Amino acid sequence: MKKLLLFIFFTPFLLEAQVLIVNDTMQVKGQGDSVFVTANRAERKLSNVTVPVSIVNAKQIQQTGSLRLTDILREQPGLNLTSGFGAGVQMQGLNPDYTIILINGEPLVGRTAGVLDLNRVALGNIKKIEIVKGPSSSLYGSEAMAGVINIITEATSVIPLAASLRYGSYQTVDAGIQNAFSTQSLSYQGFYNYYSTSGYSIRPNSNSRVTTPIGRFTFNQQLKYNISERSNISLAIRITDEKITNDISVSNGGATINSIGKENNKDQNVNLVFNHRFSNYLKTSVKSYFTEYNAKQDLVTISGAPYYDLLNHSFKRIENQTDWNINKQLNLIFGIGSVWEGVKSSRYDSEKVRKSNTIQYGFTQIEWAPSNKFILIGGMRFDKNEAFASAFSPKFAGLYKINAKHKLKLSIGGGFKAPDFRQMYLDFTNAAAGGYSVFGSAQAQQVIGKLSTLGQIGTLYDSYYQLKTLKPENSTGINFSWEFEPNTKTYISAQLFRNDIHNLIQVQQVGAYFSGAQIFSYLNIGRAFTQGIELEGMYKFNTNLNVSAAYQYLATGDKDQIAQIKSGKVYTRGANGYSQLLSLSEYVGLPNNNKNKAQLKFSYNKDNGFFANFRMLYRSNWAVNNTNGNEVFDKGDEFASGYISLHTSFGKGFKNGFSLQAGCDNITNYIDPQNLPNLPGRTFFATLKFQIIKKQNKS
Amino acid sequence: MKKNAQSITLLVLLITSIIACSKSTTTNVLPVSAVTVKDIPADTVVGLSAQGIPITNGKYTFYSLEKNAIVPNTDSATTKWDIAFLATRIIINGGTSGKGLGGAFVQTGLFDNLKTIPADSVFKTDNAPTSYAITSGSGKGWYTYDGLNNLITPLAGRVLVIRTASGKYAKMEITSYYKGGVTLPASASDADKLNKQRYYTFRFAYQPNGTKTF
Repeated sequence: MKKLLLFIFFTPFLLEAQVLIVNDTMQVKGQGDSVFVTANRAERKLSNVTVPVSIVNAKQIQQTGSLRLTDILREQPGLNLTSGFGAGVQMQGLNPDYTIILINGEPLVGRTAGVLDLNRVALGNIKKIEIVKGPSSSLYGSEAMAGVINIITEATSVIPLAASLRYGSYQTVDAGIQNAFSTQSLSYQGFYNYYSTSGYSIRPNSNSRVTTPIGRFTFNQQLKYNISERSNISLAIRITDEKITNDISVSNGGATINSIGKENNKDQNVNLVFNHRFSNYLKTSVKSYFTEYNAKQDLVTISGAPYYDLLNHSFKRIENQTDWNINKQLNLIFGIGSVWEGVKSSRYDSEKVRKSNTIQYGFTQIEWAPSNKFILIGGMRFDKNEAFASAFSPKFAGLYKINAKHKLKLSIGGGFKAPDFRQMYLDFTNAAAGGYSVFGSAQAQQVIGKLSTLGQIGTLYDSYYQLKTLKPENSTGINFSWEFEPNTKTYISAQLFRNDIHNLIQVQQVGAYFSGAQIFSYLNIGRAFTQGIELEGMYKFNTNLNVSAAYQYLATGDKDQIAQIKSGKVYTRGANGYSQLLSLSEYVGLPNNNKNKAQLKFSYNKDNGFFANFRMLYRSNWAVNNTNGNEVFDKGDEFASGYISLHTSFGKGFKNGFSLQAGCDNITNYIDPQNLPNLPGRTFFATLKFQIIKKQNKS
Repeated sequence: MKKNAQSITLLVLLITSIIACSKSTTTNVLPVSAVTVKDIPADTVVGLSAQGIPITNGKYTFYSLEKNAIVPNTDSATTKWDIAFLATRIIINGGTSGKGLGGAFVQTGLFDNLKTIPADSVFKTDNAPTSYAITSGSGKGWYTYDGLNNLITPLAGRVLVIRTASGKYAKMEITSYYKGGVTLPASASDADKLNKQRYYTFRFAYQPNGTKTF
């Protein structure tokens, strides 16, 4: 037992074990145990992580033929991709706003309407993706309410040089070069990727592209220097530059206006980390991170009227974390940090003035393993914000290994999401669509007051007088899971989850102009929940073939709407068109959430380097539009149909370093232009890759 | 403006109070029949300009609830009409809109459940252009507007309680804003959204005896 604990606690200091995860999210006994860092803010054996997690490894990314982060997340149990403002990820039924996306532990910024476009992230040099579900990973601060997705790229010298070229449908080209070297004290990895596509339109007779022609360049440099046996310093620089041609046609009251659009989005991050080990029991790290996201959009209509949009989001952070193994049973982590964040946007009152916020935070976590059957974790984080109210996020998690076959996990946590700059500072009037305005809550009263003295305001609602400094949205989440490994070939897990969200920030009409045009702002008014069941299973037929299956049931709801339905204040329309009372059984919850999601995957691997896989993904229908005259989503509304999509990929690696791969996505050519603009029809691809594999010294 | 042919259908009789209900105290008011009216045009689109802007005539369609018929525009200055429609705007013959005694308000509830207009109800009158008896605007009167998909949907559970030009009472439920009484999906073509809009389908009950009971 002592040995086991030592192993747990000293994992960070051990050289990485040769580990291999055979499938997505599960590891079957006897196939090794991999290291997981995101859940505990420290490296832990996956089998000892106390919260629901999953890992996607490089092999899986490669074998599915995934190019962008969206490609691989689409295929993960319980995750959905959303469309609109780029492709975001929906976790446990919560919108993309509530999942934080990290690269090597540092957040990506630059969200549009709360959505971070995951197409931005190229997968070429990624070692693994760690996914933590539920707010039990609240030590990451704002946005980590639904969960955390941490993309880990790591300098490895196993492959000194690799180059790949892929060509696919819609003139999609992906070219990548990866190089690396290492000496006793220095290791380096470089990654260059160019992706371009001519885009596609699945809408007939439309000249606007659903996926627009894009040229996207990714540049990544990582350098690590071992100063001494106890200290190292690493530097990572990552730049993504994308140019998008976005010619659109807007139909306004029957009149079609064609526009020529050019977008340029640039994402840059620099991450400097210093690690020092004082002893085998104590280590510390200082991380400084700077990131900036610049988005510029120009739209010129044929009539010559220009439209121009600009967003600049910068984020600087410095953080210190110390890990202390007090004794064999107790491990303590504590840290402090500071964030300086600023946004400039043409949609604010002045695009020249930077809106800013500073955050000071501290966190601590204690991990106690009283026996080899139990691990208990308690943690908390406090964020002091300059621009809005402070937030406190506690977490508790426990793991109980009943025996070698059964394991139980329970985690409870509180998470929060800070009001974003848009919700505080937006100053936007849509002249094209009736002249409505949206003002951020921080200045809505001031702006509207000024308009009022100019005699432009017609009416003010009660909600106008309720405007005040926004509070962070917060949630409490609970996850309970059971894992069962009856034999070395089988793995089964079941998980129950529930999230309760309070202080949801929602757009609310606060008044109207004399013209009747509406004026909106943001208020903390909503209460919602999501809950569900996730089942996963895996079976290894033999050394070559394995199958995995996953299913998620999800229920969501707006608590205020449910209360209104219960009190008989919500109406719907019957088949005859006449109004009737809405019953709770007709209520379907939050929009864009499907109740059932399932997947089935077969994977075949041979020793001679041949592999093949076949993946089947299913989503049941989901509500998209309110069409029956109430403000809630119910069975009488418009739904997008459920669908199944099929994907396959196969390839072979040769001893001389070459490998070939080909695949087909969306084999049955399922399309839904209205509701699934991100899903192209059937596409094919072929990849040629060459890599020099350095012979490893067996030590 | 050309008058579109319209189909007017007599529908269900309200027979609730005829069916004997032993325990209730029976009031001796005769039930009034609810009438469904389909596809009343309300300034429909007649064409597109050279720039592609939709053209309409900008004229109200006037309606008499007493006669259950469209009233010609030439009678707009009379008390022959009770209610008139122009796109989403509804006017009532009274106040700034006409010479009649008309007034109205929007009641939340079910059409069938409104058996008697409460005595303390306040009938509003049109006071153009600041306010109308039937409030216009998305979510405020009888409809919501989905700007993203460019669709108008009548709110469920809204009863228009109307005092007619001659001072009688009526209740009305609007069920559709599109031709044929349909609900257009978000994916409907722009042409359909443009050309099928501005057709009202509604049912109403008119009480000719001057009481507020239906």
